[in-house]
Amino acid sequence: MAQNDKGPSSAPAPLLKVDGLSMSYGQIRALKDVSLVVHPGEIVVLIGANGAGKTSLLETILGIFPPTSGTIEFKGEPVGGVSADRNVRSGLCLVPEGRGVFASMSVHDNLLLGAHHNMKNVDKNLRRVFDWFPILEKRKKQIARTLSGGERQMLAIGRSLMSAPSLIMVDEPSIGLAPIVVNDIFTILKKLNQEGYAILLSEQNAYKALKCAHRGYVLETGAVTLSGTAEQLLQDPGVREAYLGV
Amino acid sequence: MPLPVYYFISISAINILMSWALYLPYRVAHLHFLTIANMAISGYTAGWLVMSLHVPFWIALLIGFALGGVMGFLISFLIGDAPTFAVVIVGFTFIYITRTVIENTKAVGGTLGMFGLPSIGGNPVFHRWAILIILFAMLVIFGFLIHRFDHSRLGRAASTTFMDKDLASSLGIDIKKMGMLLQTASCIIAGGCGVLYGFIFKSFHLDFFTFHLVGIFMTIIFVGGYSTMWGSLLLAPILYGVPLLFPPAIASWRIVIYGVLLITVLVLKPEGFITRKFVHSIETVLSSKRKIRNM
Amino acid sequence: MQVFLAQVLNGLSLGSIYILLVTGFNLLLLVAMIIHFSYPQVVVFSMYIAWVAMKYTGGGPVIGVLAAVGAAILMNVFCAPLFQKVMKKRGEVDINSTMVLSMGIGMIITDVLSHSFNNGFPISFEGLLSGHETIFRLGLISLQSGQVAALGIGIVAVSGFFVLLYKTRAGRAFRAIAEDPNGAKLVGLPILRTSLAGYALTGLLGGVSAILLAMLFGSASPGLGEQVAHKVLAVSIIAGLGNLVGGLVVGLALGVLEALVQGYVSGSWSNSIAFVIMLVVILIRPKGLFGIKL
Repeated sequence: MAQNDKGPSSAPAPLLKVDGLSMSYGQIRALKDVSLVVHPGEIVVLIGANGAGKTSLLETILGIFPPTSGTIEFKGEPVGGVSADRNVRSGLCLVPEGRGVFASMSVHDNLLLGAHHNMKNVDKNLRRVFDWFPILEKRKKQIARTLSGGERQMLAIGRSLMSAPSLIMVDEPSIGLAPIVVNDIFTILKKLNQEGYAILLSEQNAYKALKCAHRGYVLETGAVTLSGTAEQLLQDPGVREAYLGV
Repeated sequence: MPLPVYYFISISAINILMSWALYLPYRVAHLHFLTIANMAISGYTAGWLVMSLHVPFWIALLIGFALGGVMGFLISFLIGDAPTFAVVIVGFTFIYITRTVIENTKAVGGTLGMFGLPSIGGNPVFHRWAILIILFAMLVIFGFLIHRFDHSRLGRAASTTFMDKDLASSLGIDIKKMGMLLQTASCIIAGGCGVLYGFIFKSFHLDFFTFHLVGIFMTIIFVGGYSTMWGSLLLAPILYGVPLLFPPAIASWRIVIYGVLLITVLVLKPEGFITRKFVHSIETVLSSKRKIRNM
Repeated sequence: MQVFLAQVLNGLSLGSIYILLVTGFNLLLLVAMIIHFSYPQVVVFSMYIAWVAMKYTGGGPVIGVLAAVGAAILMNVFCAPLFQKVMKKRGEVDINSTMVLSMGIGMIITDVLSHSFNNGFPISFEGLLSGHETIFRLGLISLQSGQVAALGIGIVAVSGFFVLLYKTRAGRAFRAIAEDPNGAKLVGLPILRTSLAGYALTGLLGGVSAILLAMLFGSASPGLGEQVAHKVLAVSIIAGLGNLVGGLVVGLALGVLEALVQGYVSGSWSNSIAFVIMLVVILIRPKGLFGIKL
């Protein structure tokens, strides 16, 4: 399923390269000159408060919004302004905030939706998702509405895996979940990364996110104010005060 | 007075009153089509009472009001707090059942209808003036009552219910009682209107009480503005009268024009022309003028 | 016994009309997330367009079908954005506005038909379409080719669409987009392409339904749409909104029930049955006998 098993950050070409990206919708300037990279095999985290622009950034990269300036390169190809469905086909995907699960459809159908652009290996991929998340297999025929918050998060991640992505973007995975469940989710993300998936993750829960990431960026009102390795950010006094409650 | 003027005023008055009848339940998001069935039932009953049993008109009219009220009240036990969809369906159902019963009842003329109702007071001119005076009285009385309702605690409760039923319940508003009150009131008005509608033409026919009529009332309410009573008041005579000014070739497209207006308003300006904000700003201006005069 | 069988056959025929129309309605709901209460009027409009096309080109059923399908697709494409704009109300579906919009569309169609086509007189498909030949007769019982076609196509359509929607990739995409267009975009589903396919599909069914109705009735009038629209509404509520299989069963059952009442009870009581049942269902089991499948 994974398309690149190289280790973190030493690979020559970045998987995702965002350069000077700005985006506005209507009067609101959501992103101001944002630059970031994600290398194959990395977990990169976006930290920021509510409204800092994390969701806008991920959705712009995905192709929901056209950039007003700047470039986005995925696997070396420019993808700014390309539609979301084309990007998903090239290996980029998003696990949206609020899970992005279709409540009226079954777990099985939700997973198959993820394979919409990649039906060739669907049985193999489905088998792997069920190996990762046995609870989903157990609830295969159930309507997604009947799943718990944590199970829905797993379903959303499983669905994204069905498209055999190279880069998985996850928007605020911990929202609305109990702390124990949040731990489980982060463990899963770490394990996926070890399998070779690159992950770009946005989180308000800065501590847990930084603990499992390689590098991070701090986003404030649409601009990157700080970047570095996870360790550096964990030690940074500004970050500690604003996001780690220390 | 010339006949066309009589018809214009009387029909416009009925349109205003029926729009108000539909406005009231819509204050809590109920499209109460049962009122059309009320019109038919009260109307035909009154017509039959006057024609076959020689009951005096004004008694028949009162019975019409009462019949509407009783029916509305009893049914509101079931749908006072029902979801909007259910209220619509119940209304439709009763319209069909009523029409079917009337169709199959020879005593009220079946599909042919009832014709040749006697003039009130035995005199056609007196009849027309009587109708107009009654309609005018209804407009004043019901208009006053609705206005008082809108500006009372109950009216605000209704607005809250319209926006969010659950929020309203949690604030202590009794949704069911509110629904029952509004539905019963609307059916009382509709009952009276049904009687008068037939007596304007001195006949009753199934074609008077169709979904066509529903469409006309919907247009008046939604284009005029469903959040205040003034929209219907203003728009009913305009919508009815303006097409009459045009040559018949254009006027016959009346219904299409209503439909287009209705759709346009729904898509572009859902609140209608006379919005609550507009009315409020006029009231503010009027009350400030009063303040200046009193100073 | 003959009367009974004859009425059952009539009922099946009536039922297949209900099936065709309620399936179109359900499809629009499942595929385009539109609650189009005046869909039957759109179908009647397509019948008229087919009539015009066949009359003025002298062409046969094929021209009629093409014209009807084209008309239905155009109406879908035109009405869909209106419904989508009007239906949203703070995350919930605004049934009232949708209903009123449907009434508006129905009003316009019915009135345009009474003005501009044949001076408001009913149109006849005599000589343009076959479907009235009796292919089987036994005393009072007679079976017309149009009736067989309508029922056959109705059942095939329901089965086909059921398989499409619930067992195929395209069907999953339709349902996902209908439930949550924004979520579907985020998952990478092609929205525009799928929506257009949805309108085409439902337009196809609408056009085919129009021709079948023309074959069955042999004529059409401006008021036909409204008469049938309310019955179709009743069928969809009794069955459960969006329930394809339910629509099939209830449509047939209602058709047969109405025909039997028509045959055995004097007077025009058959029209009310649907509404009485609908009333009972809505008060006792609001989600319909087979459940809502939204």
